[in-house]
Amino acid sequence: VTVDLLELAGGIVERARGDEVEAFLTHEREFQVKSFEGEVESLSAAEPRGAGIRVFKDGRVGFAYTSDLSEGGLDSILELARANAAHATADEAVGVAEGWDGSGPEEVPGLVDEAQPSVSPDDKASFAVELDSLTRAVDPRIRTVEEAVYADSDTQIAIATSTGIKGSYRRTDAWCYAIAIATDGDDTQIGFDFDLGRGIAELDAAALAESAAHRALSVLGASKIASARMPVVLDPYTAGQFLGVIGGALTGEAVQKGKSLFAGKEGQKVAADKLSLVDDGRALGAPGSAPWDAEGVATRRTEVIREGTLTGFLYDLTSARRARTGSTGNASRAGFKSAPYPAPSNLAFEPTGETLQDIRSRADRALLVRDLHGVHSGANPISGDFSVGATGILLERGDEAQPVKEVTVAAPMLDILARIEAVGDDRRWLPFGGSLGGATTFVAEMTVGGL
Amino acid sequence: MLDEAAIQSVLSEALRKGGDLAEVFVESRQSTALKLEDRRIEDVASGRDAGAGIRVISGERSSYAYTNVLTEKALLEAAEAARAGMDSPSEKGPFDLRRTEPSIVNPVVTPPDEVPTSDKAEALVTADEVARGEGAEVRQVVASYADTRQRVLIASSDGRMAEDERNRVRLAVRVVAGRAGEIGTGFDAPGHSGGFELLQKRPPAEVAAKAARRAVIMLDAEPAPAGEFPVVLAPGWGGVLIHEACGHGLEADTLVKEASVYANRRGERFGSEAVTIVDDSADVGAWGSFGVDDEGTPAQRTVLFEEGVLVGHMSDLRAAKKIGSPPTGNGRRQSYAHLPVVRMSNTYLLPGPDDRDEIIGSIKRGIYAANFAGGEVNPATGNFVFGISEGYLIENGAIAHPIRGATLIGNGPQVLGAIDAVGSDWDRSEGVCGKDGQSAPVTNGMATVLLRRMTVGGTG
Repeated sequence: VTVDLLELAGGIVERARGDEVEAFLTHEREFQVKSFEGEVESLSAAEPRGAGIRVFKDGRVGFAYTSDLSEGGLDSILELARANAAHATADEAVGVAEGWDGSGPEEVPGLVDEAQPSVSPDDKASFAVELDSLTRAVDPRIRTVEEAVYADSDTQIAIATSTGIKGSYRRTDAWCYAIAIATDGDDTQIGFDFDLGRGIAELDAAALAESAAHRALSVLGASKIASARMPVVLDPYTAGQFLGVIGGALTGEAVQKGKSLFAGKEGQKVAADKLSLVDDGRALGAPGSAPWDAEGVATRRTEVIREGTLTGFLYDLTSARRARTGSTGNASRAGFKSAPYPAPSNLAFEPTGETLQDIRSRADRALLVRDLHGVHSGANPISGDFSVGATGILLERGDEAQPVKEVTVAAPMLDILARIEAVGDDRRWLPFGGSLGGATTFVAEMTVGGL
Repeated sequence: MLDEAAIQSVLSEALRKGGDLAEVFVESRQSTALKLEDRRIEDVASGRDAGAGIRVISGERSSYAYTNVLTEKALLEAAEAARAGMDSPSEKGPFDLRRTEPSIVNPVVTPPDEVPTSDKAEALVTADEVARGEGAEVRQVVASYADTRQRVLIASSDGRMAEDERNRVRLAVRVVAGRAGEIGTGFDAPGHSGGFELLQKRPPAEVAAKAARRAVIMLDAEPAPAGEFPVVLAPGWGGVLIHEACGHGLEADTLVKEASVYANRRGERFGSEAVTIVDDSADVGAWGSFGVDDEGTPAQRTVLFEEGVLVGHMSDLRAAKKIGSPPTGNGRRQSYAHLPVVRMSNTYLLPGPDDRDEIIGSIKRGIYAANFAGGEVNPATGNFVFGISEGYLIENGAIAHPIRGATLIGNGPQVLGAIDAVGSDWDRSEGVCGKDGQSAPVTNGMATVLLRRMTVGGTG
């Protein structure tokens, strides 16, 4: 089934006949294969598509979506969106994006791996099975691999507005992950890791197998340690988890609505002097890059923290108009069923120059955190409270001395930011609510809760 | 939703190149959602989504394809995609489809689609006004309303055929309070399987007032202590602990992979005689209920722990077959785009004999966990963690000041063993559980419970 999304999007705007309207359509080809015990356990393939329409009337906006792209289906949601607009509160900040000049925002190179469509389902299945086998083969203590998964998608995204925006782009994504279970005597530990790229060619099954297995093996024999205030080293994975919490609080919307620990702190010191935090919607090779955002606004690079000072927030159109500034191109959507909302695109700390070895051995004794548990419940981006479960390794002068489990790590988030003394250059992108660039990070002190 | 002739031809097509079983899952869903924030009704959204997924099982392997174009041609194409790579030609069908009736029907008194959108908006405005009236410290109110009507049809080559309609309504109010640099948050979010009458049973004004009072109380919170303490769990919300500590590890997909701390331990005693835990998808009107699960198995009540002893588990068809016991009706999917996964529905620790005040009165220094922000568990190890969003210190047998930033960490089997008392004041709370990238509505239920000793993470 081929559909011309751009034509459909344009058609919706035409049928809206003079109403202020925005049509957002996606058409995806997706594939996923899971391996268990060296055999394909499940395969899934699909081509979902759909449309989300926003109608704007006198500062009111209504939204409706459908998976039915027939004329009747689209007309009915246009009607629903119109009716919904009547029930929204009028707000002068609400409106559709300004039309594009010429052909619109510049493309971001490298969003598509052209070889990806010709990779056969069999090759993808073999990849998952190989990932599974390689992970089990790392060490006899890897009792099983709960899941080894390969997945990809090839997505066409189109937008059209009554203000003259009309464009589409395509992106391919491929990712894989493994969950290794290691057992030694009575002790069981779990190791999760993933890899992602534009196509299967960018994924490294052997490195992932090694890493997922190591994450489980390295914490075997772990125990609690005594409660103490001590330095904490976040690895790239857990640094990304932390960044995910901070990222949500750095949108203009969160600040305007009093839901951010950064509210009222623009222009103030919010982090250690050497810390700079950047969101870059056009970063090459980063998963969150796109030529324009979910409202059709060109993406860009935004400095959020410069050398410890809070310099700006991430905006979509509504929050930007409310703050009397411009959108930073940070409108995001969870597919056609979702209205736009502001979110980071590719958010990461700039490296501070220390080597990884320097960072790990910076303190005589530090907790290297390999996994954070319960981040969605234990971290509060409004109050800044941060208290989550952790698994990791006690470092003594940088050497891995003792695996640690069932402890909590806690500190107010602004204190964590103020105490970050080093960010490594081992950045990797993690897809935790936007894409987040985690790198090995040294925090001078947190409260570790144990015995 | 799909006539029997079309079902027959799709199932035959799916098995044309071999396979043990083919199944079609057809779904249509319509939804309305409104959100108020910052005193404004910002989002008013309607959704229409329909599609079908076709599963072909061959030995240990499941292949799945889905489409959101509901024509017979598109379904036949999906059937072809679902059998891709199979190559033992066979002619199967017609199939003897025998209809399974849902074990319960969740009554809908007032169908939400017959309620004007303005009434739904009005409920949110009321919630906002009442919450703001609870104190000058209330800074932000986010109120949301959502209703969904989901119709499903399941038919498979082994003769299963069932239809079910799930109507769900939920109201959620989140309040942020602030005072001189301190921030407190409060939340309440009742939901049920039924219609708009939820808002009579749980009036928006009451829900909002409750959330606002929690937010204001938490302004006085002091940092939670870190270390090991006796912990008292409040009725209702405390059930998250049972969900995390016991529920996930008894979802049979993890049992058959031996990725659960409870694997091969049936008959073993984990807790005292006061500990009886059930999963009950047939609890009429509960948020996590349904008539049949997403594989067509009737909803039922499954006993997991009987007086402290592990006696049961939850399963879908696939896990049930591996274990060699009947499916328990816990095969759920987020939508037609997803393969079924073993999931909880309404998970309850049944009430016990103890008195709430006596439980609290027995503690010299401990933690009272009134409300949780959520949690997660590693089923392989049983280790869990969850955040206390509303907690208090217990001192000398009485609830003292509120605490902030407290996290409970522990281990499922150990926590069952640590249950020293179960109260008679049972309640439930509604939530959304995530697993394998799919979300599902679930209810947690429990009475006041005393845990002898738990690790608490805090900064104080």
